[in-house]
Amino acid sequence: MTDLSPGTGADAPEFDAAGLVASGRVPPHTEMAARTRRSGSWFYAETTLRGMRAFALPIAVYAVLQPLLYMVALGVGLGELVDRGTGPVDGVDYLTFVAPALLVSTVVMSVTAEMTYPVMSGFKWQRLYHGPTASPLEPGQIARGHLLAVVLRFVLQGGVFWVIMVAFGAAPSAWWQSVLVVPVGVLTATAFGTPLQAYASTIEDEAYQFAFIQRFVVMPMFLFAGTFFPLSAMPVWLHWIGWVSPVWHGTQLARVASYGADVPAVMMAVHLAFLLGCTVGGVVWATRSYTRRLHS
Amino acid sequence: MGAAGHGIPRPAWLSSLASGNIGAVLERGFAVVRNQNWTVLASGFFEPVFYLLAMGIGMGALVGTVTGPGGQPVEYAAYIAPALLATSAMNGAIYDSTWNVFFKLRFAKLYEAMLQTSLGPLDVALGEILMALFRGFLYALGFLGVIAAMGLVTSWWSLLMVPAAVLIALGFAALGMGVTSYLTSFQQMDLINFALLPMFLFSATLYPIAVYPDWIQWCIMAMPLWHGVELMRQLSVGHLDALTWVHALYFVGMTLIGLVLTTVRLRALFLR
Repeated sequence: MTDLSPGTGADAPEFDAAGLVASGRVPPHTEMAARTRRSGSWFYAETTLRGMRAFALPIAVYAVLQPLLYMVALGVGLGELVDRGTGPVDGVDYLTFVAPALLVSTVVMSVTAEMTYPVMSGFKWQRLYHGPTASPLEPGQIARGHLLAVVLRFVLQGGVFWVIMVAFGAAPSAWWQSVLVVPVGVLTATAFGTPLQAYASTIEDEAYQFAFIQRFVVMPMFLFAGTFFPLSAMPVWLHWIGWVSPVWHGTQLARVASYGADVPAVMMAVHLAFLLGCTVGGVVWATRSYTRRLHS
Repeated sequence: MGAAGHGIPRPAWLSSLASGNIGAVLERGFAVVRNQNWTVLASGFFEPVFYLLAMGIGMGALVGTVTGPGGQPVEYAAYIAPALLATSAMNGAIYDSTWNVFFKLRFAKLYEAMLQTSLGPLDVALGEILMALFRGFLYALGFLGVIAAMGLVTSWWSLLMVPAAVLIALGFAALGMGVTSYLTSFQQMDLINFALLPMFLFSATLYPIAVYPDWIQWCIMAMPLWHGVELMRQLSVGHLDALTWVHALYFVGMTLIGLVLTTVRLRALFLR
């Protein structure tokens, strides 16, 4: 029996179905249901992660290749122009300035991909959410399980990016400080990803909404929210794009972590509160929306 | 829609590849455009414009001026605008000729149906490629209007940027469709993105390639996008030289190779 005890954490137990059948000893279904209610989010996260294995290679290649390309092209190549132009940006060379922002932006672009079509697919095309709903799993646990799997992926993806940043000498802070760019990146991803997940779960008929989000929300956020240049390089009447963008709040925090950017403590609290607020709000909305759709 | 080739005697090898009725393929394409949501088509126009505004104005403040074609200094927005037009021609053509074609080929089985009629593989290939060009033409026209209004072009030669965009799109569409015919899974389709991102980042789009060592520069100059970018940049300021022809001919060659590849592949896939 002991080898059937549920694990807590990502390394949920190896489920030995054949052995279980042979033993003839299955825990009573009330016990199984209780376990599911306790840690169902983790179970669903495991399912999602196993599903991702089909795409493991492209995900891994992308996780390594994308930061490398961005660092070489935008940091080194474009940096050469900037260093020859205005010189240091925010007190550091351009590569150091842009690297933490690129980490945040790439993770946010990944979360966009994860929380649009796959959510639609879960409800409609492949109906992956409907099977688990028939078990004691709550819709909220499904939503959070999906999120959890994505978050675990981004911890890895952000970690790879951080290692590459350090290798390029683009994170001058002590390592225990600059490594905070990873949790900051992940938090920014959830701040943008959970409201998006909730919104995606409300869509019955996909009619280009996601293409529009990509073009008119994600893209402008990538371009105008302080990633490539400080907000101050734009006219004042465009600064609001930064203020409402999770990417800007995350980027500012990431810059503090990676090179000790000069951000007042009050603003750091504002950035953190904004990101946490969006994340919590998104999770609550997603839980409601998943429940409404799966229990109707 | 007329059967353009009828009545003109054609060699036997050609008549097995084409009926000359490309119009039928185009007619279907336009019917789809008419019936889908036009806002999607229109929204594609904004992507290069956003890039231009952000990079041109925001980055421009950090960069100042750069060395343009012929060694004259140009402001940063004027430097990247032609490159963004070349890139958007590439992106549009690649999207149409890869993801769209992949879907029609593997899921909708559209080409299978088309080739059951009197249409030949060359008709289908040309028709699909021409549809991709139509979209590229519209975007190029719109973008040229924007950069002209922003005062980022300084020569009447810049009017040729529209046909140049169509030529670039033609090269990418022809080759893209040929390559797509080899791909069978979504994972393989991701490879296309892996090829496009580095090409966009390195092909002198956002900064001159002189920052790299010689051997990297040679690799970049072998890539199609670099030729497209340079061609556009020369046209935008009216600085034309022998290299202009090299850039243009590169795309003519790419188109021919792509067309042959696509035709051969469609025939191999469906007309056994």
